[in-house]
Amino acid sequence: MNTVLYEALRARRVTRNMTPEPVDSSHLDLVVQAARYAPNAGNRRLQTIVPVADQRMLQLLRQVSPGMVARPMAAVVICIDTARAVDFGFDPHAPGLFIDVGTAAATMLLAAQAVGLASCPVTSFSRAAVARLLALGPGQDPRLIICLGHAAADQPPAMDASHQPAHA
Amino acid sequence: MAEEGAGRQLLSEAAAVEVLAYLVTAARTQIDEAAEYAPLRLMTAAQKLADSISADASAPVRALIAAIATMPVTAVPRSDRDAYVARVDEICVAAADCLLAVNPPDSPL
Ligand SMILES: Cc1cc2nc3c(=O)[nH]c(=O)nc-3n(C[C@H](O)[C@H](O)[C@H](O)COP(=O)(O)O)c2cc1C
Repeated sequence: MNTVLYEALRARRVTRNMTPEPVDSSHLDLVVQAARYAPNAGNRRLQTIVPVADQRMLQLLRQVSPGMVARPMAAVVICIDTARAVDFGFDPHAPGLFIDVGTAAATMLLAAQAVGLASCPVTSFSRAAVARLLALGPGQDPRLIICLGHAAADQPPAMDASHQPAHA
Repeated sequence: MAEEGAGRQLLSEAAAVEVLAYLVTAARTQIDEAAEYAPLRLMTAAQKLADSISADASAPVRALIAAIATMPVTAVPRSDRDAYVARVDEICVAAADCLLAVNPPDSPL
């Protein structure tokens, strides 16, 4: 058993209060690179990963993201490349495209853990506003933002776990 | 301490725009979110506004701000709904007290 790996995924928890300590650009790169190691349906890679390190842009992103509680010092935006998806014959709302966003996100969250960064995935944002702020092309659909930074000592309480995942 | 009264200016344009952006984007995210997030989003909007005005607020407004701050940013009416409702009711009463204080009986309508 790889206890280090298992312990890393056990210890990863979302961080909703981050310090102003900067995120090392090499660490941000490692998190972005990790998306390549995520399983991806048909290996088509119909997601675009947009790293954000500019502090002004991070502040603006937060202002159109009601679910972004933390003030991240870096972020990664996972977009579905809908233009390429359509070229492959996909309906842009095909579930597989979204599952791939999830696998990329989960892998990058663990990569963040590996380089010592705290993280929080966020989907509660205005996709239209985020696309405008980042000047994304019409074929890029932002679906999930990973906030990155360093955890502050005090964290808000976790969301209430009303039930645990069901096991067959 | 600043003087009390309903006509005081407390908000910068940048802070006002932040609250406006939050409200309109939350209107959009709420279309796809769980219904339990609706009070969370409104309470967060209140907290953002409270944060922006706290430095220059009068005593009664500060009391309301303190009441609003008691709500954790992750609280939703899920497992202990009654406790959540009681907490929001307390903040509503604090809002009523604040309104009475900043609009005394002899204030212009
Ligand atoms: C698809 C997805 C979207 C999420 N969106 C948000 C969000 O908008 N804001 C937020 O604070 N947390 C968000 N989260 C984090 C969850 O609330 C968090 O994972 C959950 O409460 C369990 O906490 P844990 O990851 O620390 O175990 C999201 C998680 C996932 C998987």
